[in-house]
Amino acid sequence: MKFAIYQESRVGKRHNNQDRLAHCYSRDALLMVVADGMGGHLHGEVAAQIAVQLLTETFQREARPRLNDPFMFLAQGLTNAHRAVQDYAIANHLIEAESPRTTCVACVVQDNVAYWVHAGDSRLYVLRDGRVLTRTRDHSTVQAMIDDGQITAAEAQHHPLRNRIYSCLGGLQSPQFDFSRKTPLLAGDVLLLCSDGVWGPLDDLRFVTALHDADVIQAVPPLLDEAERAGGSNADNLSLIALCWGENYGEEAAPGIETGTMPFDAHSTQMLEFERSHAPQPELTDADIERAIDEIRNAIRKNSP
Amino acid sequence: MSPQQVNQPLPPGYQLENYRIERQLSVGGFSIVYLAYDENDTPVAIKEYLPNSLALRTEGAILPAIADEHRATFSHGMKCFFEEGRALAHLNHVNVVRVINFFRANETVYMVMQYERGRTLQEHIHKHKGEIREIFIRNVFARLLNGLREVHTHKLLHLDIKPANIYLRIDGNPVLLDFGAARQALEGENNGLKPMYTPGYAAPEQYKAPDQLGPWTDIYAVGATMYACLGGTVPQAALDRLEKDRYVPASREWAGKYSKQLLETIDWCLDLDYLERPLSVFALQKVLTEQQHAVHEATWIDSLSQRLRGIIKK
Repeated sequence: MKFAIYQESRVGKRHNNQDRLAHCYSRDALLMVVADGMGGHLHGEVAAQIAVQLLTETFQREARPRLNDPFMFLAQGLTNAHRAVQDYAIANHLIEAESPRTTCVACVVQDNVAYWVHAGDSRLYVLRDGRVLTRTRDHSTVQAMIDDGQITAAEAQHHPLRNRIYSCLGGLQSPQFDFSRKTPLLAGDVLLLCSDGVWGPLDDLRFVTALHDADVIQAVPPLLDEAERAGGSNADNLSLIALCWGENYGEEAAPGIETGTMPFDAHSTQMLEFERSHAPQPELTDADIERAIDEIRNAIRKNSP
Repeated sequence: MSPQQVNQPLPPGYQLENYRIERQLSVGGFSIVYLAYDENDTPVAIKEYLPNSLALRTEGAILPAIADEHRATFSHGMKCFFEEGRALAHLNHVNVVRVINFFRANETVYMVMQYERGRTLQEHIHKHKGEIREIFIRNVFARLLNGLREVHTHKLLHLDIKPANIYLRIDGNPVLLDFGAARQALEGENNGLKPMYTPGYAAPEQYKAPDQLGPWTDIYAVGATMYACLGGTVPQAALDRLEKDRYVPASREWAGKYSKQLLETIDWCLDLDYLERPLSVFALQKVLTEQQHAVHEATWIDSLSQRLRGIIKK
C-alpha cells in the first residue's frame, strides 16, 4: 500500500476537545476513525475515546496483515463500541440526559478498495478528479429535511436543529449504521474523514479546491485554520484525517508511506491520546502569581534610587 | 504593523492600570513592548507577556485566548517572565534597562520599564553605515560592558545582544534592553515555546549545546555587534559557520581602517569555540579600554601614513 496521510484535531474555541481520531495500518490494511463525543461534563470525550480505542485495538488484533471481511469488521466494531459506551454509562450511573454518546465514521482500505460506515454527522468524503465523488449522508434532522426538500443546504447551515442527530453510539436507542459500497480507489483519490467542526463552516467545494492535486500534509493545516476562523468565536472542535491514495502521487509532493516492507504482524497506530486534551493543571495558582509579583515589586522598591 | 504579526497589540489610548497606551514599540515571539504614559505623563515602556504560540489576541479583543491545553505551558512561560522581572528588579545600573513596576492584568502580566529617549544602535548603524569611528565603538562598548558585567554578576545571561537591543541615550550612554532570560529558561523544553535566536549574533552553543551557555555566549554576540558597527554587515550565522565557515575576519576586512587591536579583539569574541573567546566580560573590557589612548594614536598614524603612501604613489 502506498499513501500519504495526515490527521489533526483541534479544540477550536471550546473548553475541551471531545473529538477523537486515529489511523492505523498493517502491511495490507488501513483503518481510519473519527468520533465526535457528546454528553455532559467530560463524558462525551470518554465515549469518543472508547469508540476509537476499541476499533483500533480490534484492528490490531484482526488485521494480520489482512482483515477477513472489512464490512464485518466495521459492523462488529461499531456495535461493540456502542455497547461499550452504554456499559460505561451504566457503570457510572449516568442518567440518559447526561449519557455519553458519540458519532463515528470509520473507514478501511484493503486491496485498493475502501469500505466505510458511519453513525451521526461525522463525515467521509471521497474526492476524485477535482470533485466530490461521494460523501456520507448525515444522520441529522437537517439532512432529513434537505432530503425531503423542506430546506436547502444553505438554510441547513444556520438551522436551529442543525446539531440534532438521530444515530450515534451510546444512549438508549440502537444506532443506525450506513455502510458504503465497496469503492475501488484510484491513485490520487483523497479520502477525508472529519467532524462537523470542519465541514460545518466550510463549503464542500472548499475541500475539493484545497486538496485537489495538493500535498495533504501541507494542505490540511491551512484548511483547518480556515474552518476554525470561519467557526468564529464559538468554533467547535475540529478533527480531520486526510488520506491521499496511490503510487503516482507527485513524487516530491508528500512523503508517502510504503507498507510493503512491513512485517506481517506489525502495526502502526496514531491516536490522539486520551490525556492530551485533558487540560493540564496550571503550574501557577493565582496566589503564586500574586506572590511573585509582590516579590518583584518589593525588589523594585528596595532598588529604586 | 506587519501582516505576519500574530497577536494584535492593545489599541492606542487603552488604559492599562494607571498607564495609557500610546503605541506598540516592538513585537517578539514572547511579548509586545508598548510606549505608554503614566498619570504624570511620564513615558514608560511596557512589556506584555504574550507568547504567540500559546496566547492569541485577535483584532478588537483585549483578553488573549489561551487554549486549555496551552495553559500549563503559558504558566511556565509566565514563571520565566517573572524570573526576568525578578532579575532586573535587583539590578540597578545605568547601562541596564530599569524596571519600575510589575503587575497583572488581562489574564497576563506586564513589566513596566523606564523609557529612554534616543535611538537603538541598529538605527545608528543604519544611519552611519561604514563611517562609525573606532572611538565611538570603544566608548559605547566599554560602558555597555559595565552593564553586562552587572548582569552576569547576578547570574543572568542576556542571550540576545544585538544592535536592536542596545539603546543609545541622547548623551550617548548605552542601555541594554530586552533580556532573554525567559528564552533561556524555556530552551530545550518541548513545549511549543521555541527559543529564538538572531542569526549572526547568536553563538553556536545557543543552537547546539544549551548546556554550554555562559558569559562567553553573550561575548560572542557583543563581538558580532561590534562587527556590525564596522561595515553595517552581520557576520555569517553561527549555524552556517559550523557547516562551512565563511566568516571574513574583521582583521582582514577592515585592516587599516581600524586599529589591529580592535579588529583582533572582535575576531577573538567571534571564535566558534567558546573556550577560545574572552571568558569574561572583564577580560574583554580590559582589552577595549586599556590601550585606548595608544591605539587611538596608532589609527591616526596609520591613516596619515596611508595618506602619505597615496601621495607617493601619485
